[in-house]
Order: sequence, then structure tokens, then C-alpha cells
Amino acid sequence: MTLTLGDRLKVRSMVYVASEPIPRFWPMRTFIHHNPLYGLEHRPFVEAVAEGSRLFHARGYLDRGQYQEYRREGRIDDALLRRRIREFLAARAGLPSELDLEAWLWHLATACRRPRVVEAGDWVSGAGIAAVWRGQPAPPPEGDLDAALRAALGRRCAPESPVYAHVDALFGTTLGATLDDLLSKSCLDFFDEGQSAWQAPGREAGFFRAWKAIARRNARFLLRGLHLRQVLAEEETAEGMVAYVLRRLEVPEAVWQDYITRELTRMHGWAGFIRYRMGAKHYYWAQRYPADLVDFLAVRMVLGFALLQEGRRHHGTPASASEILALLDGKPRQAYLRHELYGGTILPAWAHRVDNALARGRPEAIARIASAYVAARTDWENRRTAEALRALAQAVGATEEAALADLAPGQTDALLSVLRDWEDGEGQVWLEAMESRCIDELVAKIRPPASGEPGAKRPFAQALFCIDVRSERMRRHLEALGDYQTFGIAGFFGIPLGYLEFGKGSEAHLCPAVQTPKNLVLEIPAGLDFEEEPLYDALEHVLHELKASVLSPFVAVEAVGLLFSLGLVGRTLAPLGYHRWRTRLHAGKPVTRLLLDKLSPEQADSVIRAVQRAMIVRALARELRIPRDQVTDDDVRNLREIALGNEPGPSRLAQRLGMTEAAEREFLDKLRSVYRIDQGVTSLQMGRLGRIGFSVEEQVRYVTQALLSIGADRNFSRFVLLVAHMSQSENNPYESALDCGACGGGKGLPNARALAGMANKPEVRRRLRERGIVIPEDTWFLPAIHNTTTDVIELHDLDLLPARHLLYLERLRSGLSAAGRCCAAERMPLLGAAPRLAADPFAAAALAQRQAHDWSQVRPEWGLARNAYAIVARRALTEGVDLQGRAFLQSYDYRLDPKGRLLENILTGPLVVGEWINLEHYFSVVDTESYGSGSKVYHNVAGRFAVMTGNQSDLRTGLPAQTVLKDGRPYHEPVRLIALVEAPLEFARRTVGRIAKVQALIGGGWVRLLVLDPEDDYRVHVLEDGGFRVHPRSGRGGHAPSKNPVLEASS
Amino acid sequence: MSLSLCLLAASVLPLFPLGWVFNRLVASLPAGIAQGLAALILPQLGIALLGLVPPSSTWPVSWRYGAMAWATGSALLYALRALSARDLGIWTRLMLSSGLGVVWLGWCAGAPAAVLRAVAVGWSLPGAVALFLAGVLVRRVGGAYIGLQGGLATVMPRMTASLVLAALALTATPVFPAFFALWRGLGSIPLAFVPFWLPLIFLWGWAAGRLFQDLLFGDYRGERVADIGRPSAALIGLVLLAAVVLGFHRGGVTL
Repeated sequence: MTLTLGDRLKVRSMVYVASEPIPRFWPMRTFIHHNPLYGLEHRPFVEAVAEGSRLFHARGYLDRGQYQEYRREGRIDDALLRRRIREFLAARAGLPSELDLEAWLWHLATACRRPRVVEAGDWVSGAGIAAVWRGQPAPPPEGDLDAALRAALGRRCAPESPVYAHVDALFGTTLGATLDDLLSKSCLDFFDEGQSAWQAPGREAGFFRAWKAIARRNARFLLRGLHLRQVLAEEETAEGMVAYVLRRLEVPEAVWQDYITRELTRMHGWAGFIRYRMGAKHYYWAQRYPADLVDFLAVRMVLGFALLQEGRRHHGTPASASEILALLDGKPRQAYLRHELYGGTILPAWAHRVDNALARGRPEAIARIASAYVAARTDWENRRTAEALRALAQAVGATEEAALADLAPGQTDALLSVLRDWEDGEGQVWLEAMESRCIDELVAKIRPPASGEPGAKRPFAQALFCIDVRSERMRRHLEALGDYQTFGIAGFFGIPLGYLEFGKGSEAHLCPAVQTPKNLVLEIPAGLDFEEEPLYDALEHVLHELKASVLSPFVAVEAVGLLFSLGLVGRTLAPLGYHRWRTRLHAGKPVTRLLLDKLSPEQADSVIRAVQRAMIVRALARELRIPRDQVTDDDVRNLREIALGNEPGPSRLAQRLGMTEAAEREFLDKLRSVYRIDQGVTSLQMGRLGRIGFSVEEQVRYVTQALLSIGADRNFSRFVLLVAHMSQSENNPYESALDCGACGGGKGLPNARALAGMANKPEVRRRLRERGIVIPEDTWFLPAIHNTTTDVIELHDLDLLPARHLLYLERLRSGLSAAGRCCAAERMPLLGAAPRLAADPFAAAALAQRQAHDWSQVRPEWGLARNAYAIVARRALTEGVDLQGRAFLQSYDYRLDPKGRLLENILTGPLVVGEWINLEHYFSVVDTESYGSGSKVYHNVAGRFAVMTGNQSDLRTGLPAQTVLKDGRPYHEPVRLIALVEAPLEFARRTVGRIAKVQALIGGGWVRLLVLDPEDDYRVHVLEDGGFRVHPRSGRGGHAPSKNPVLEASS
Repeated sequence: MSLSLCLLAASVLPLFPLGWVFNRLVASLPAGIAQGLAALILPQLGIALLGLVPPSSTWPVSWRYGAMAWATGSALLYALRALSARDLGIWTRLMLSSGLGVVWLGWCAGAPAAVLRAVAVGWSLPGAVALFLAGVLVRRVGGAYIGLQGGLATVMPRMTASLVLAALALTATPVFPAFFALWRGLGSIPLAFVPFWLPLIFLWGWAAGRLFQDLLFGDYRGERVADIGRPSAALIGLVLLAAVVLGFHRGGVTL
């Protein structure tokens, strides 16, 4: 069977659409916090959560017990909870009037300890429950049992579920798990990024082709009895293979897309990583070893098909959708018993009997047992539900218990329906009630200015921090120390840049993941001395190579194994001392500069010429053994021109040295192919050089935008610190998750250095002055980096600091150091250290240092856990307020933004990054296993780009339990991001309305929006139920605090 | 007469195929303590019956070897069957039937009755504990069909811990008496039989592994259920500890 181009495109587009709900998964070196339901963000939050639960088998909310615990701690708004109950009941008709249903639902939510009162069941009915209350067994289903069983099976066995999943559910096999294992291994072989000593062959051909070549002779598959040769011979392309297998499985074409979605979401970690690779054009490994989801799906489908065929041969299990359907339809009793037994839902007392009957396979016995079992199951389900209802009625009140017993079967059905629907939506109500409490707290903390402008005294220093929640503490402590003014700005300082670090071979994108930088910044060493690799570094390099070698364990362990014990003992017993000792051994990083200015075409051409000449000199020495002293500059120029095709041969050098024509041609070919002195490559390099640096106009634009977006257009102080941030930890695959999200999971120092370099440039300042931004001559922009694990702020590029500023440097440093210690004193007790450290900043700072170097530390810092707010406003509103490290603080002054363009940038950049971070934490808490990545303790690094649980599993996306839980309970309070924007209400509405994506996020309930209107007496307008309402406790005065703000507002 | 006594003994000190009598007898009793007591008493009865038979040393060598081969085959068969058992009661009885084959081996090798009794206790005691716990599960959950709920350890940690220890003792894990009995037993039989007992140990380990996988891992999906009380768990712990001490003592290990 050969597919036409149209068919192939059809399969490809199906896979593309089917993969939409799967979030992309970035490699862990640049961990990107992302919303696990990113692919469903176009739908409202509630719907997306339900769809996510269906696709990923995950929970979207905490369980009831945990919300009740939050309520006991005062973290729930009872008024909103009650209001939602009333609204829920008001929207329903035909309720049993004998019962006080509001009281029922209130008790159900707040006092019931069961996860659910009305559990899923096939046979619960009002009549059954009534019989139980009469002391009789619940009657088995009336009428045709087979039809009832078919209906029950229809609810359980969706047609779009993979065939092997049905076989597993009906025959107790483990095809799905086996398939996942085999696929994981295949993916690990192909996607490895240098972790394996021996790489899989033929990867350049793409995933499916490379896998296919190996699969034909893979002993692992042969040992399992999988006959892949025949299947693989049927189709050449991945698309063709997908279509072939789907047809062989007899999956109706109408459900192909859903079927593919189910297949892909089963291992959404791998699928998400491949999705990322597909879109990351700059990703080195993707360029070198291409793969896409069609490849992934084709491999999965071939393996799944082979496993089904093997099951049919050896165990007689069905191997196609039609055979499954025949079993469900033709033998419903057997199928039901099978599903009960192998699905683990069977009544335990019946398990052995049913197992025996199914093993013997006598139809009459199976029919008899099925009939008896359904009767027993019906009685059990109704009894269980009746008991739960009675317990709930007792909790509500004695009269309710009596009323419940008197309910007619029809009314009991209505009651069950109410309770079932309430329980289905209860999580969302709890979430809103929790958020309402958070909103109240935030509104109570906001400090509207009494009147007029704050004083215009020039601060000693100004500091621009990242909006990251960890900056909030540092800013608060720094401001409390004295004459410091701080601002919040996205950690990439508004400059999306590609960064080529000195000594690194690949470019890092330092900007939000949703952006692609156009400009490239190079870091070049400023040192004039020729540096050789220090002895220790060379030794370490050798040892590293030795460790990675396949043979070294046989020959080197006895010889050098003991050396490694030094590190083992040092890191374990004295991590800090060991780190300091090793740092002394290493050569320090040289002083560097950033290449910020754009190269002119002449400069770019000159750079390329210089590099090409150097390459020719090297090629002559290596290939022809001709030393530099025998070659003149003119010879080199001549060779270059000939290689580029600008001049004809033979070269002057060849003539002088008497080289044959063939030898010269061979050398020129090598120059073109190996040393890349080629016309095409030169054009490409010219294009790439064009990316380097920023034009003066761009620099002025970026500086203007950065300053205006935070409301800093005047009163600049002597020092303006641009504080990027980073984290530091040992043995932590999630290290980059603690770095800057606005820098794509990288460290933001290059962005800070770039902005400082631009803002310190006289030409830029001159042009800024023309635009009304006057930066005094003595103002110096100074890059710095905040280590969020140790709370140390390190200043950079001090060698560029004007001499007159050095006088003030000591004061600046001591201030930053003191703020860091205060910050550590606040943080360390939260990480489980002794509470006394709160009063001992020096000891707290020492402990923070130790945490950063302790390789056994699973939680070096809390990172962004407990984030809840994004405040887009002037700092004056929150200055001096303890926001407990829970708020993203973006400085913004709407008065400098008449058209709302700056706000648009903030909403589309920092707010979206904040939303991703927030929802990653939210979902990792509510389902630590499915949306989160489970416990770190079992993680192993996979292929150098992700982690797996155990030795193989799906790639673990999301955050580990240690990041969001403390002592088994949520440390991160799972609420959606509450974004407060300080701007006139209409202005904010208009701005949001202009950005479709942000409108969808806010309107869909992914982000809660509050607008603080300074032109309406600083009232807070809360977006709720599709409209804005004024928060009654907000405003500068004249609003009496109410006990029950939500109810008053609604009235 | 001797043959009849041997056959009778094989019915209560299980030997294939008469082991089904032992299994039926135990299964016919109420789950829990009664089954546990039967597991303790019946093998001792079998040993008593064997005491009435002329010692195996008086038998022709070929008969003795034949009996040893039979005991080995019986142990292998029951262990193999235990692999597919999902009911805890059945699993325990089959593992017990398999392990008690060692008693027959000892008897064929001419071990004295006191040693045989101790060896039988080495298997019967943990078997009795496991049967008692199976009874607890039947009463609280409705059945002792392992693997249905998964992750039992999270809701019944004490019961699970007790069961794990009992299962380890039943599968001749080192430090438990059955291990020393097996150790000594293997030392006293002809070398030709040893290769058959080594896979048997593997099968026991496999069967225990399957049990643990179903007990310890996964998410619990059943109804809320009460664990066994601390006194019960402590008592089981004491019994198994006593068995360990006994094992060290009888096994000749100096503490």
C-alpha cells in the first residue's frame, strides 16, 4: 500500500491537530515554566481542566480534604462558597423540596471527609437506595441485562481508546506498559544528547528511518517475540505506517484523530519534547538528528501493533478494534466481568470466583455468574451510596435524616443528580473561594498614596530587579535599609538577545520563550595576556573523558578511582569548604566585554577575511606541513581569492613550492569543505554577522522602552543597578527552573550588561535627552546579579566604573550585603531551618551558602513556590508591604503610557510568563504525579535533556514534589495568578481588548484580573463572572470595611 | 501399611498430588485464625505419621532417591502454581505446600523427627501468620485478592508490613528459619538434586516479588479500610522475631 501525497498530508495534519493539547517541553538545561494545559488555553479554564483530566488522566483541583484544611486555616472565603452554592441550586429545577439542599451542600463541602459521596457506579438508583432503606437488597436492573451491560461497557470503553488499552482492561495484560517501555528505550537511543558513550547509528536520517533500520535486527524486540520485519516492509514513510497500522487495527477513520490524540497523550512528556524540537529551528540536536511527532507516532503504532499480534498468537487476545467491539457487543456478560476483574473494580469477594469462571470459559457459567455478580454489585453500590447519604443527612440535622428516608425513588434520583453535579464542579468553587480570600488580602495590603506625588529626593541608588517573586524580599529589605529606590522589570530587561558566551559553542536565547531574538551578542575576553589552560582544568578534562569512556571502568577504576572519593567525601561532609577549595584550583573567568554595537558591512567583511586568513594559515600547517614563516600575507590572500572563486589558479604559493595541480586542487577542496572557505558559507557568515549587536537606534529604543515601562523617566540616582538573577545548586537537574523565566530559563546577567552598556553610552544618552529622558552625567548603570539561593548580589563590570563612583562603592556593597542577609534570615526558617535564624542574619546567610553547595539538598530554595500575584503598578503602592515573596512586581506608571503600548508589552510578555509559572505550580500541586514530576528522589537524568522516574519512563514534565509540597502538604497555595493593574478602568479594558491572547487568558479565567483605578479613588475593580465589581474594602477612604465584601458587592 | 501411612502423611504434609487434601482442608475452615492453626497443626500431624513408618535409611537407595525426586518435583510444581495465584489465601497455601517439600527431603535424608518438626514450623509459622492476615483482609475488604486495589501499604501499613515479613519468612529469606532449614537440607541431599532446588528458590522469590508489587506499589483504589491494631502487629512481630531467634539457634549460628 502506498499513500498518495494527499493521504500523507492528511495523516500529517491529523497528527498536528491531535498534538495541539500537548504542551511543548523544553530541555531542562533551559527549563521553561509552562502551563501544562497550554494547548487548551483557547478554552475556558473550567473546560480545559476537564479536558485535561480526560486526556492526561490527571486531577485539576485539590481534593476536598485539602480544601477543608485550608478553610480551617482561614484561607477560604466562606461567603463566596455559600454564594456559589445558592447560585448552583438556583440554576436547577425539580429539586426535592423536603430537603434543605443548601445545608446539604454546605455540609458536603465543608464537613464531609469522603472524597465523593456519590461515587461513580453503574447501578445506583433511587429505587435501589429506597430498597436499602427498607432493609431489603437493592433490586438488580430490570429488563434486558445484556443491554444494560452493553450500555455500561459503552461508558467505560471509548472507541477512540487505543486497542491495546482495551485488551489490557479486558484481559489483564500489560501491553500498554510494555509498549511505553519499548518506546521509551527507542526514544532514549535516538534523542540522546551525549549522555550515552555509544550513540545509536544512522540518526541523521530521522527518528523513524533510524529506528526502522535498527528495529529489523533488534534483539530486544526479537526476544519479546515481536515480528517487526513484516510490518516494517509494508510502508516506507512514517505517515504511511501510521495509516497502515490504523487500517490493520480497523479503527474507524472517523475517530482517527481522537485515537492519535490518545496515543500521543499517553506519553505526553516525550511527545511534548518532540513538539518543542519541531518548533525550535535553532536547536542544535534537532538540526542534526531530525524527528517529528509523525515519526514518534509511527514507531509507537508499529510496536503496539506488533505487541497485539504477539498477544493474539500466544494468548488469543483480540488484536483489532472490531474484535474488541465484537466482544463488547456479542458477549457483554463476559466483557463486563473481565472489565470488573482486570480493571480492579470487582468486589473482592467475587474476584476468585469470577477469575475461575473466566479461566474455564464456559459460557453458561459465565452468564450465571455475571447475573449474580451484577445483583451483588447493585446491592453493594446502592448500600454504599445510601450509607453515605445517611451520614451526610445526619451531619446536616435530624430532620433531614427523616426527610431523606421518606423520599420517593424519583426524588432520591434528583438528589443524587444534584450531589453528583455539585461534586463534579466543587473543585472550581473551592478554587474561587480561595482566590477570593487572596484578593481580600491583597486589597487590604495595597497602600494608595494619601495625596500628591512622593517626594523627589534623589535616592542613593536605584535598582531594577526582575519581576520574579524572589526579588520582592530583596527589594523590601533593601528599601528598608535606607536611601534605595527599586523597580520591577522583566528579567531580560526588555532586550531579547541571543547570547554566545565566551568558551561556549552554542547560542542561548535570553528572552521569554514566546519570543525569538533577532540580535546576537558575543562575549569576548578583554584580557591582553595569552592564557593557557591551567593544569587542574586539563586534569579535570582528562578525568571527565575517562569517566565517559566505555572501556575505562575495566582499566582505570583501580588507578584513579580513589581520586573521585576526594570529591565524594568533600561534597558530603564539608560542601562549602570543598567548593571553596575547588574554586581556588580552577582558573577564574577572564574579564570580558560584550560586543554590543552593530558591525558595518565593511567591518563584517573584515572580520570574515581575518578569520578565513587564519584558517588558511592553519590549513597550510596541518594539511601541507608548510609553516607560517614560508607563507606571505599575499600568498594567503591569493589562496583565499582562488578558494572563493574570485581568481583563477594556480596559486602563487603552489608555483613557488612546485606543487602539482592535483595536490593544489585537493588542498583547495579541503579549504572549501573542511575549513569552510567557500562563497556560500561566506554569504551565510555575512548574514550571521549582521545579527551581531544593536544599531544605535535599537539601543535607544530598548533603553527608552525599559525605562518608560517601569515609570523611570527622571530623578536618576548616581547608581542605577540592573539586577539580573540566577540560582546556584548542586546535583540538581532542575537548576535552571530556579533561574530567570523571562530569560528562557537562563541567567539574565548578559541582558543586564547589555542594557547597562547601552544606557552608559553618551550617544544613546544624547538621543534619550531628545526624547525627554534626561539621565544626569554622573549616573552610572551598573549590572549585577542576584543569587536567589544565597541571597548575594554581585556587581559586575566594575572595571568600567568611573573613578569618582568608587568613593561610594563601599556603601553600596555594604547595603546590598546587609539586605541579602536580612533576606536569608527571612527565607531560611521557611526552608526548615531553626526559627532562631530569623533573628541571626549572619548565620542564616552562612546556611544559605551551604545549601547552595550541598549536593544532597533536594530543596536548595523554594524558588517561585507560593507565587500568587502579579502587580503591575507603581512601587509606591506596595512599598514597605510584606508580600511574603508571593508577588511578581512589575513597575508601571500609566501616566507615561498614553496609548497603552507599554501596558500591552507588559501584558503580552511578563504577564504571560507569570501565568505560565503560576499554572505550572498550580497543576504540579493539584496532581503531583500527572502534571508534576513526582518525587525528585527517584529521578534520573535522561539523555541530558530531561528526567525520568526510575531507569525509564515517560519524560517527567512539571515540577517535582519537593518544589511544591512540604511534609506531604501543599506549600504552594494553588490559586490562579491574580493580576492587579494600576490604571484607569476603561484604559485597562481597552488595552486588554486589543490583545486577543491576553483577552482569552483573562476572559477564560486563566488569570484573575483586578484593576486598581487611580482616577476612581484607587478603588479595585475585580473581574468576576464576566463583569467588574468594586471590591468594597478598596479605595483611599470613605469605604467602611465590610465583614462580607463579596456578598455586599453582589447585592 | 507403610505406604498407606506415607500417603496419609502426604495428605497433611503436602506432597503432590495429595497436597490438594491439605489445601482443601485448610480452605474449608473459616478464613483467619482457624486456617492459621490448621497450617501449624496439619504438617506436625504428617510428621507424626511419618514417625510410624520405618526410617527411610532402611529403604533401598533407589526408593529414597525416588522420594526425594518426588518431593523436589512437588515443591517445584506448587511454587509454579503460586506464581499465578492472586488470592492471598491460595498463594499462602501453595507456598506452604511448596516449602514443606523440604520436610520430605529431610525425612528421606534421615533427619530426626525433632529436626523435621522444627523445619515444618519454619514454614508453617509464617504461613499461619499470612493466612491469619488473609482472613483479616477478607473480613475488612471482602476478599484477599491481591492486586485489585493496589498500594495497600498506604492504607494498611501495619498489615502490609506484617504480611511482607511473613512472606519473606515463607520464601526462605536469610535470617528466617526456613532459610537455615533449606541450607541444611540442601547440604544433606545428593548433589544431583541441588540444581532443581536453586530454581525453586528463584520461583519463591518471584512469587514473593509479585505479591509485593501488588501490595506495595500503585495507588490504592478501594474503600476506606481500618488497619490491624498495634497490639496485633506487635504480636506478629514478636512471633516472627522469635522465629528468627529459633532459626539462628537451630541453624547453628552463634549470635
